[in-house]
Amino acid sequence: MRHSIHLALFATLVAGTGWSQDVAVSTTSIAQTWKQDTPGMSKGTFTPVTEFVGVDVAKISGQEALSFHMYGWGFADLADQSSLYGKHTGDLTYGYLQYNFTQANAELKAGRFTVNQGVGNEQVDGVSGRTDLRHDFTVSGFLGRPVVYKNEGDNHQQDIRYQQNVMFGARVAWHPSRLGEIGLDYLQDGSYAAKALNVPVPQPVDYTRRQVGLDMVLTPCSFIDLRGRTVFDAADNQTVAPGTASPSRIAEHDYSATAKLPRSFTLTGTFVERNYFAYYAGSTLPNLFRQNEQGMFKALGAKLIWEGVANLQVSGDVRRTDRALYGVATRTGADVRYNFSDAHVLAGAGVHKTNAFNITPVAVVPAAPGYSVSNNEMRAWVMAQRGKVSASLDAILIHYTDASSNPNLNGQSHESAVVGSLGYQPKANLKVSGDLTYEDNPIYRKQVMGLLRAQYQFGFSGKGGK
Amino acid sequence: MLKKIALLAVTLGLGLMVACGAISPSGSFAPTHPQALEQGRPTCSECHGTDRVKSTQKTFASFDHTQAFVTNHKFAANQDPATCAACHAQSFCTDCHGGKTGMLPSTKLGNRPDRESPHRGDYLTMHRIDGKIDPTGCFKCHGRSNNEKCSACHK
Repeated sequence: MRHSIHLALFATLVAGTGWSQDVAVSTTSIAQTWKQDTPGMSKGTFTPVTEFVGVDVAKISGQEALSFHMYGWGFADLADQSSLYGKHTGDLTYGYLQYNFTQANAELKAGRFTVNQGVGNEQVDGVSGRTDLRHDFTVSGFLGRPVVYKNEGDNHQQDIRYQQNVMFGARVAWHPSRLGEIGLDYLQDGSYAAKALNVPVPQPVDYTRRQVGLDMVLTPCSFIDLRGRTVFDAADNQTVAPGTASPSRIAEHDYSATAKLPRSFTLTGTFVERNYFAYYAGSTLPNLFRQNEQGMFKALGAKLIWEGVANLQVSGDVRRTDRALYGVATRTGADVRYNFSDAHVLAGAGVHKTNAFNITPVAVVPAAPGYSVSNNEMRAWVMAQRGKVSASLDAILIHYTDASSNPNLNGQSHESAVVGSLGYQPKANLKVSGDLTYEDNPIYRKQVMGLLRAQYQFGFSGKGGK
Repeated sequence: MLKKIALLAVTLGLGLMVACGAISPSGSFAPTHPQALEQGRPTCSECHGTDRVKSTQKTFASFDHTQAFVTNHKFAANQDPATCAACHAQSFCTDCHGGKTGMLPSTKLGNRPDRESPHRGDYLTMHRIDGKIDPTGCFKCHGRSNNEKCSACHK
């Protein structure tokens, strides 16, 4: 099935390319090398090569509205195996035909694509469509087969594929004039519940999902912006222990409010509340994302941004998190970014302090003492371009406050990483660059890694997210 | 049988006519931003002022790429993918949000520190701390897919 989809996509690409006026191909080839000789770990020399390929074909068969988009990558180890995926692997990230109508923002897609609508952020092999309706309504929907990766051992993987046999969703939104948008959406992943499995396991894991979401953006004026969503777990196949009260079906509240203030200040506040039982429903890693962990995660945050001087952005932020089982943590800090536009230099720096003295990890051995996960993080980076030459430097330093009692830090109180990059662009569509990374961390200790990158673009290039 | 098929055809035809009549007559949002933008994060309201995006009724200011917008861009991406697509190809999103990625985004974009890719440095150490403080942050990307590496230890 997987191979036939790839074959169909490739055939479409060839046909589309042949009949199209506008073809853009972008490739990024990356070769890495590093040596591992950390005591206690397997020694090896790694030289993986990864190729990313993107193809955008517009005006297929002369039709302005019909286009094809594809992106994928392939990977091979030239020396020792560096990845859990094996010595060579690859993936088709997306590959779809798209038809954009000139009216009502209507569009149709067919192939492999990522769904971004309401509660859904999913990779699907299927079809999707959307259109604006009269009276300020919008409707969208999709139907297909979810892209399922190898997540678990073979037995569980069979269960995952059995249960995640189909995926569909729909969203209806209303955007009243000069106010914003309110949406109601539904997503279903799988039609076979775990209890339908004919396996000799008393409590098979349920990988299916049904979610209902309410999302909204309110922008009554240009200086106020309220947005967020509430997600409900609508699956009827979750079970709780006898005699236990049914937990809340509200999976998530996630909201932010932004106000543009005088003197170039912007203030943003965020509120998040997630209920593990409903939020983790359908996880393919249930032993890590545990539905049976009672309680909630809550977070309140605020960020103040000042842009009083051209090309300068300064921000300060604070976020208080509360995980019911572990405790409270507070992260505070500041960031600055400056664009020296005349000199083609972009620079930034940030300092953050995480106070997590109250986080008490559950010890594997009950008698073992807890430990703090407080830390201080500093980061600075700069990018510069002069003619055909570009360079960048990125440094990060983390200091762990309670390294002596944290068994994961191997007695090391800090970690650091520095990435230096030098690039040369002989032509507008060709750029080669090399990165050198130095790391010093509690797990691998000191490491030096090299990377060579070649980026090539062929054909037109309307966008790309620079 | 023929009667049923005719009835179905008429129903479908009427349904299609009603659906087509319900479609908004307004034009679509520009598929590509008409002008090239300067390097760095754009502030849409600098040029568009207090205007609203015609099709979505949101202010252009709500798309200003401030530090807060970059952190919370999921809301805009979920509601207005067409607005994002005016400047960003989908590969821009999949640099970080690919279901299965060839390498860490911060490695792939090692020459682009301005992109603020997740998991910079040796994240293997730091994930034990972030995961204790907020495992729901991990779940968004690793709870349903891209967790083969996670399951190597978290069996």
